[in-house]
Amino acid sequence: MFQGIALNSEHYMSLLSARQKLVASNIANADTPGYHTQDINFRAEFESALAGETSTEPTVMEPEGLVAKPDGNNVNIDREARLLAENSMRFSIASNFARAELNSVKTAIQESK
Amino acid sequence: MSLLSALSISASGMSAQRQRTELLVENLANSDTTRTPEGGPYRRKDAVFVSDPSAAQFSSLFESEMNSGSGVRVSEVITDKRDPEKRYLPGHPDADKDGYVAYPRMNPAEDMVDLLGASRGYQANVSAVSAVKDMIQKSLDLFK
Repeated sequence: MFQGIALNSEHYMSLLSARQKLVASNIANADTPGYHTQDINFRAEFESALAGETSTEPTVMEPEGLVAKPDGNNVNIDREARLLAENSMRFSIASNFARAELNSVKTAIQESK
Repeated sequence: MSLLSALSISASGMSAQRQRTELLVENLANSDTTRTPEGGPYRRKDAVFVSDPSAAQFSSLFESEMNSGSGVRVSEVITDKRDPEKRYLPGHPDADKDGYVAYPRMNPAEDMVDLLGASRGYQANVSAVSAVKDMIQKSLDLFK
Protein backbone atom coordinates (compact mmCIF):
# COMPACT_ATOMS: atom_id res chain seq x y z
CA MET A 1 0.00 0.00 0.00
CA PHE A 2 3.00 2.26 0.35
CA GLN A 3 3.99 4.46 -2.57
CA GLY A 4 6.75 6.94 -3.36
CA ILE A 5 8.77 8.07 -0.38
CA ALA A 6 7.11 5.65 2.02
CA LEU A 7 7.80 2.66 -0.23
CA ASN A 8 11.46 3.66 -0.47
CA SER A 9 11.67 4.17 3.26
CA GLU A 10 10.19 0.70 3.74
CA HIS A 11 13.07 -0.79 1.71
CA TYR A 12 15.48 1.45 3.56
CA MET A 13 14.21 0.36 6.97
CA SER A 14 14.32 -3.34 6.16
CA LEU A 15 17.87 -2.98 4.90
CA LEU A 16 18.82 -1.02 8.00
CA SER A 17 17.42 -3.73 10.25
CA ALA A 18 19.36 -6.40 8.34
CA ARG A 19 22.50 -4.32 8.83
CA GLN A 20 21.75 -3.71 12.49
CA LYS A 21 21.50 -7.47 12.99
CA LEU A 22 24.99 -7.92 11.56
CA VAL A 23 26.28 -5.14 13.82
CA ALA A 24 24.73 -6.91 16.82
CA SER A 25 26.41 -10.13 15.67
CA ASN A 26 29.78 -8.37 15.36
CA ILE A 27 29.47 -6.89 18.85
CA ALA A 28 28.44 -10.25 20.35
CA ASN A 29 31.46 -11.88 18.67
CA ALA A 30 33.95 -9.13 19.59
CA ASP A 31 35.91 -11.66 21.71
CA THR A 32 35.46 -14.75 19.50
CA PRO A 33 38.80 -16.00 18.11
CA GLY A 34 38.91 -16.10 14.30
CA TYR A 35 35.64 -14.23 13.80
CA HIS A 36 35.49 -11.84 10.82
CA THR A 37 33.41 -8.66 10.75
CA GLN A 38 30.26 -8.99 8.62
CA ASP A 39 28.49 -6.21 6.78
CA ILE A 40 26.36 -5.54 3.72
CA ASN A 41 27.12 -3.26 0.78
CA PHE A 42 24.38 -0.82 1.72
CA ARG A 43 24.44 1.32 -1.39
CA ALA A 44 24.41 -1.60 -3.84
CA GLU A 45 21.65 -3.40 -1.91
CA PHE A 46 19.50 -0.27 -1.67
CA GLU A 47 19.92 0.50 -5.36
CA SER A 48 18.88 -3.03 -6.33
CA ALA A 49 15.86 -2.73 -4.00
CA LEU A 50 14.90 0.57 -5.65
CA ALA A 51 15.30 -1.04 -9.08
CA GLY A 52 12.58 -3.44 -8.00
CA GLU A 53 14.67 -6.54 -7.52
CA THR A 54 12.91 -8.49 -4.83
CA SER A 55 15.76 -10.44 -3.34
CA THR A 56 14.80 -11.80 0.04
CA GLU A 57 18.06 -11.35 1.88
CA PRO A 58 20.92 -8.93 1.27
CA THR A 59 24.30 -10.47 0.47
CA VAL A 60 26.67 -10.53 3.41
CA MET A 61 30.28 -9.53 2.80
CA GLU A 62 33.36 -9.04 4.91
CA PRO A 63 34.56 -5.41 4.85
CA GLU A 64 38.18 -4.84 3.92
CA GLY A 65 40.82 -2.76 5.65
CA LEU A 66 40.13 -3.97 9.19
CA VAL A 67 43.13 -4.94 11.27
CA ALA A 68 42.99 -8.46 12.71
CA LYS A 69 44.08 -9.12 16.29
CA PRO A 70 46.56 -11.96 16.98
CA ASP A 71 43.64 -14.39 17.53
CA GLY A 72 42.34 -13.72 13.99
CA ASN A 73 39.39 -11.59 15.13
CA ASN A 74 39.02 -8.32 13.21
CA VAL A 75 36.06 -6.69 15.00
CA ASN A 76 36.66 -2.99 15.56
CA ILE A 77 34.33 -2.07 18.40
CA ASP A 78 34.47 1.67 17.57
CA ARG A 79 33.31 0.98 14.03
CA GLU A 80 30.45 -1.15 15.34
CA ALA A 81 29.42 1.44 17.92
CA ARG A 82 29.32 4.10 15.21
CA LEU A 83 27.24 1.89 12.91
CA LEU A 84 24.91 0.98 15.78
CA ALA A 85 24.14 4.64 16.47
CA GLU A 86 24.04 5.57 12.79
CA ASN A 87 21.60 2.78 11.85
CA SER A 88 19.35 3.69 14.73
CA MET A 89 19.23 7.37 13.70
CA ARG A 90 18.72 6.60 10.03
CA PHE A 91 15.91 4.23 10.97
CA SER A 92 14.30 6.98 13.02
CA ILE A 93 14.41 9.38 10.05
CA ALA A 94 12.95 6.77 7.69
CA SER A 95 10.19 5.83 10.10
CA ASN A 96 9.23 9.50 10.39
CA PHE A 97 8.94 9.71 6.61
CA ALA A 98 6.78 6.59 6.54
CA ARG A 99 4.62 7.92 9.35
CA ALA A 100 4.11 11.22 7.53
CA GLU A 101 2.91 9.31 4.48
CA LEU A 102 0.57 7.18 6.59
CA ASN A 103 -0.77 10.28 8.32
CA SER A 104 -1.65 11.88 5.02
CA VAL A 105 -3.64 8.76 4.09
CA LYS A 106 -5.33 8.90 7.49
CA THR A 107 -6.19 12.56 7.00
CA ALA A 108 -7.69 11.79 3.61
CA ILE A 109 -9.89 9.13 5.20
CA GLN A 110 -10.99 11.24 8.15
CA GLU A 111 -11.69 14.45 6.24
CA SER A 112 -14.07 12.63 3.93
CA LYS A 113 -16.44 11.86 6.80
CA MET B 1 12.19 -10.31 11.25
CA SER B 2 15.84 -9.43 11.56
CA LEU B 3 15.40 -6.90 14.37
CA LEU B 4 14.03 -9.51 16.75
CA SER B 5 16.84 -11.93 15.94
CA ALA B 6 19.31 -9.07 16.51
CA LEU B 7 17.95 -9.04 20.07
CA SER B 8 18.64 -12.79 20.39
CA ILE B 9 22.18 -12.28 19.11
CA SER B 10 22.90 -9.55 21.65
CA ALA B 11 21.36 -11.69 24.38
CA SER B 12 23.71 -14.55 23.47
CA GLY B 13 26.63 -12.07 23.69
CA MET B 14 25.50 -10.93 27.13
CA SER B 15 25.15 -14.49 28.34
CA ALA B 16 28.62 -15.46 27.05
CA GLN B 17 30.27 -12.44 28.69
CA ARG B 18 28.44 -13.19 31.93
CA GLN B 19 29.72 -16.79 31.94
CA ARG B 20 33.23 -15.47 31.35
CA THR B 21 32.82 -13.01 34.23
CA GLU B 22 31.74 -15.86 36.51
CA LEU B 23 34.94 -17.77 35.69
CA LEU B 24 37.12 -14.69 36.24
CA VAL B 25 35.49 -13.96 39.58
CA GLU B 26 35.99 -17.62 40.55
CA ASN B 27 39.68 -17.23 39.68
CA LEU B 28 40.05 -14.15 41.86
CA ALA B 29 38.22 -15.80 44.75
CA ASN B 30 40.43 -18.88 44.54
CA SER B 31 43.73 -17.11 44.07
CA ASP B 32 45.05 -18.61 47.33
CA THR B 33 43.27 -21.98 47.25
CA THR B 34 45.75 -24.80 47.82
CA ARG B 35 43.27 -27.64 48.02
CA THR B 36 40.67 -28.71 45.42
CA PRO B 37 38.49 -31.83 44.97
CA GLU B 38 40.65 -32.80 41.96
CA GLY B 39 43.75 -32.55 44.14
CA GLY B 40 46.48 -29.95 44.07
CA PRO B 41 46.01 -26.19 44.04
CA TYR B 42 43.28 -24.34 42.16
CA ARG B 43 44.00 -23.77 38.47
CA ARG B 44 43.01 -20.65 36.60
CA LYS B 45 40.01 -21.06 34.24
CA ASP B 46 39.07 -19.10 31.16
CA ALA B 47 36.29 -19.28 28.57
CA VAL B 48 36.74 -19.78 24.82
CA PHE B 49 34.10 -18.16 22.63
CA VAL B 50 32.81 -19.56 19.36
CA SER B 51 30.31 -17.96 17.00
CA ASP B 52 27.01 -19.82 16.99
CA PRO B 53 24.51 -19.33 14.14
CA SER B 54 21.76 -21.11 16.07
CA ALA B 55 21.80 -18.39 18.75
CA ALA B 56 20.40 -16.03 16.14
CA GLN B 57 17.35 -18.12 15.51
CA PHE B 58 14.16 -16.53 16.64
CA SER B 59 11.47 -18.85 15.35
CA SER B 60 12.91 -21.73 13.38
CA LEU B 61 16.11 -23.35 12.24
CA PHE B 62 15.10 -22.74 8.65
CA GLU B 63 14.95 -19.03 9.26
CA SER B 64 18.35 -19.03 10.87
CA GLU B 65 19.76 -20.86 7.85
CA MET B 66 18.30 -18.21 5.59
CA ASN B 67 19.51 -15.28 7.61
CA SER B 68 23.03 -14.16 8.23
CA GLY B 69 24.61 -13.02 11.45
CA SER B 70 25.42 -15.30 14.29
CA GLY B 71 25.39 -15.20 18.05
CA VAL B 72 28.10 -16.41 20.36
CA ARG B 73 28.47 -19.10 23.00
CA VAL B 74 31.13 -20.48 25.30
CA SER B 75 32.58 -23.51 23.50
CA GLU B 76 34.86 -24.72 26.26
CA VAL B 77 36.39 -23.78 29.57
CA ILE B 78 40.16 -24.06 29.50
CA THR B 79 42.20 -24.72 32.60
CA ASP B 80 45.62 -23.21 33.08
CA LYS B 81 48.31 -25.90 32.59
CA ARG B 82 51.18 -23.89 34.05
CA ASP B 83 53.04 -25.35 37.03
CA PRO B 84 51.84 -24.09 40.42
CA GLU B 85 53.83 -21.51 42.29
CA LYS B 86 55.85 -22.92 45.21
CA ARG B 87 55.91 -20.96 48.44
CA TYR B 88 57.99 -21.93 51.45
CA LEU B 89 55.55 -22.39 54.33
CA PRO B 90 56.73 -25.32 56.45
CA GLY B 91 53.86 -25.11 58.93
CA HIS B 92 51.13 -25.30 56.29
CA PRO B 93 49.02 -28.52 56.25
CA ASP B 94 49.48 -28.79 52.45
CA ALA B 95 53.24 -28.39 52.56
CA ASP B 96 55.34 -31.11 50.90
CA LYS B 97 58.26 -32.80 52.63
CA ASP B 98 60.56 -29.85 51.82
CA GLY B 99 58.10 -27.39 53.33
CA TYR B 100 56.86 -25.93 50.02
CA VAL B 101 53.17 -25.31 49.35
CA ALA B 102 51.78 -25.28 45.78
CA TYR B 103 49.77 -22.10 45.20
CA PRO B 104 47.78 -21.28 42.06
CA ARG B 105 49.88 -19.43 39.50
CA MET B 106 47.69 -16.38 39.36
CA ASN B 107 48.35 -12.87 38.21
CA PRO B 108 45.61 -10.65 39.67
CA ALA B 109 46.32 -7.99 37.01
CA GLU B 110 45.56 -10.52 34.26
CA ASP B 111 42.21 -11.36 35.80
CA MET B 112 41.28 -7.76 36.54
CA VAL B 113 42.02 -6.75 32.94
CA ASP B 114 39.97 -9.67 31.59
CA LEU B 115 37.18 -8.76 33.99
CA LEU B 116 37.20 -5.22 32.64
CA GLY B 117 37.10 -6.57 29.10
CA ALA B 118 34.16 -8.84 29.92
CA SER B 119 32.33 -5.99 31.61
CA ARG B 120 32.84 -3.66 28.61
CA GLY B 121 31.80 -6.45 26.26
CA TYR B 122 28.60 -6.89 28.24
CA GLN B 123 27.94 -3.14 28.10
CA ALA B 124 28.47 -3.09 24.33
CA ASN B 125 25.83 -5.82 23.97
CA VAL B 126 23.45 -3.91 26.24
CA SER B 127 23.89 -0.82 24.04
CA ALA B 128 23.11 -2.92 20.99
CA VAL B 129 19.94 -4.20 22.68
CA SER B 130 18.76 -0.69 23.49
CA ALA B 131 19.51 0.60 19.97
CA VAL B 132 17.55 -2.28 18.42
CA LYS B 133 14.77 -1.83 20.95
CA ASP B 134 14.47 1.83 19.89
CA MET B 135 14.18 0.76 16.27
CA ILE B 136 11.44 -1.73 17.08
CA GLN B 137 9.65 0.96 19.08
CA LYS B 138 9.89 3.34 16.10
CA SER B 139 8.29 0.69 13.88
CA LEU B 140 5.50 0.19 16.39
CA ASP B 141 4.93 3.95 16.52
CA LEU B 142 3.98 3.80 12.85
CA PHE B 143 0.67 2.31 13.96
CA LYS B 144 -0.20 5.32 16.09
